[in-house]
Amino acid sequence: MTAVTGYKSTPYTSLSTYFQLDDSWKSASGRGVSVAIIDSGIDASHPDLHGRIIESVEARFDKKRIVFDMSEAGDSAGHGTACAGIVAKIAPEAEFYSVKVLGAGGLGDGQAFLAGLEYAIKKRCRVINLSLGTTKPQFFSPLHDLLDRAYQAGCIVVAAANNLPHPSFPSVFSSSLISVVKSEETDPLNFGFHFGEVIELTAPGVNVRTAWLDGGYRNLTGNSFACPHIVGVIALILEKYPGLTPFQVKSALYSIAKENQRKLEA
Amino acid sequence: MTDANELPVKLQRLIETIDIANILTEPLTQSIANLLQVSAAEINSDEASVLIRDGDQGGLRFLSATGEAAGKLLNLKVPAGKGIAGFVLSSGQPMAVSDVGEEKSFYPEVDKSTGYSTQMILATPLNYKDEIIGVLEYINRRGDPPFEPFTPVEMDKAALFAEAIASLVNAYESAKLFRDFGEKVFEGENKDDIADMRNWLNARRDSAEHREMLDLAVLMREIASRGEGERKICRELLESILRFSESKSETSFVNF
Repeated sequence: MTAVTGYKSTPYTSLSTYFQLDDSWKSASGRGVSVAIIDSGIDASHPDLHGRIIESVEARFDKKRIVFDMSEAGDSAGHGTACAGIVAKIAPEAEFYSVKVLGAGGLGDGQAFLAGLEYAIKKRCRVINLSLGTTKPQFFSPLHDLLDRAYQAGCIVVAAANNLPHPSFPSVFSSSLISVVKSEETDPLNFGFHFGEVIELTAPGVNVRTAWLDGGYRNLTGNSFACPHIVGVIALILEKYPGLTPFQVKSALYSIAKENQRKLEA
Repeated sequence: MTDANELPVKLQRLIETIDIANILTEPLTQSIANLLQVSAAEINSDEASVLIRDGDQGGLRFLSATGEAAGKLLNLKVPAGKGIAGFVLSSGQPMAVSDVGEEKSFYPEVDKSTGYSTQMILATPLNYKDEIIGVLEYINRRGDPPFEPFTPVEMDKAALFAEAIASLVNAYESAKLFRDFGEKVFEGENKDDIADMRNWLNARRDSAEHREMLDLAVLMREIASRGEGERKICRELLESILRFSESKSETSFVNF
């Protein structure tokens, strides 16, 4: 039982003031939880992901604006498929929204990545996987605004740290998103939470075997692959507790990680 | 025909332009290559390479490389969005793949050109002042496969080397920009002048006097590149020749 206590002034009527998690989420499958993967697209024909992708869109520059078209282009890089594959392994019944912002033709611009995030928020995807970031300071403020919007819309944004000497956005923001760095742990449920550090969560990200292009699999290392592990865990929790707010989900992760730590020390 | 008096001035500027190209960019490419070699040894990688942006559509080209395939890699281009490097450039996220194999995303054309067999890659972005200017790649371990995957500690080391290499790449790009700008200014000045000068140079190719002058210019550049001591001695010698020549009005370089 993961007890997460909040302020309880009057007998509570909804989950928003007080909530308590039992371990039922550990046997959940992420059923009905919408997960956006803002990345290089997803290869829908991969056996691990077949039938799980609800919608695929692709960013396109229309003069100076970025618009999203329905896309059957799949994934040209493998990265988005790898991230979705990790989420699907933990939460096999999660519903994926592929938002392609990386690829050929000048995509990969910070502007496209912000537009992709905005798209996923408008779609009200419950969990948003951002295994990418930007170090350009001009995106600091717009990203902050977008993450606040995500928070208010109940979307939980999970971002990968870049692990470079420069800070990258949005992973260094702490209030309105969950940021993740890789660890050598292999059990996805055995993640860590380090309150007070810039990047609070640690999850498996070293030599992770996951889906790749052409129905294949690859062993990959990077924070990009730690991030979807946490997304998968959140999808499990949200299946059982769909009313949780982003703040409550973060509290739940904190409590679960503390429990993991306690077991480790015992 | 251009006034013959202007031509030595133009010739001098041409030599200066060539000097900028060589003097500014050469030590930088050498430093990048040296640092690559040191980092490859530190990360226990067989091949290391630096790819820089090629155009503004996400393409890359190899600027520097170490290892047996290095010569074949130089100036090889990787189209936008192709390969692990293309992805790292667009996403800004470092990553390692320990079993590349034959796959679309790997862009096997590079291996086809070099005859090398890539098994694993560690790629990290080159950041300079908030911009991603290229990608640093390490390929395979030293020795024979099977290879141990790249570790998180090696990824962190690669990020630190990337920091230093990015500064050098930026300096190289600036020097190259300066050189290209110089050439553009020179070309844009007057296209007819350039044609005239080429003709003039061609006409004098066999002239012993001008060949000697060009030889002298090349020799001076060679001495100047040797070091401060050499430059000082050369300057003192040339100045004393000049003083001697000025004091004896009947003496010229031609019959000295």
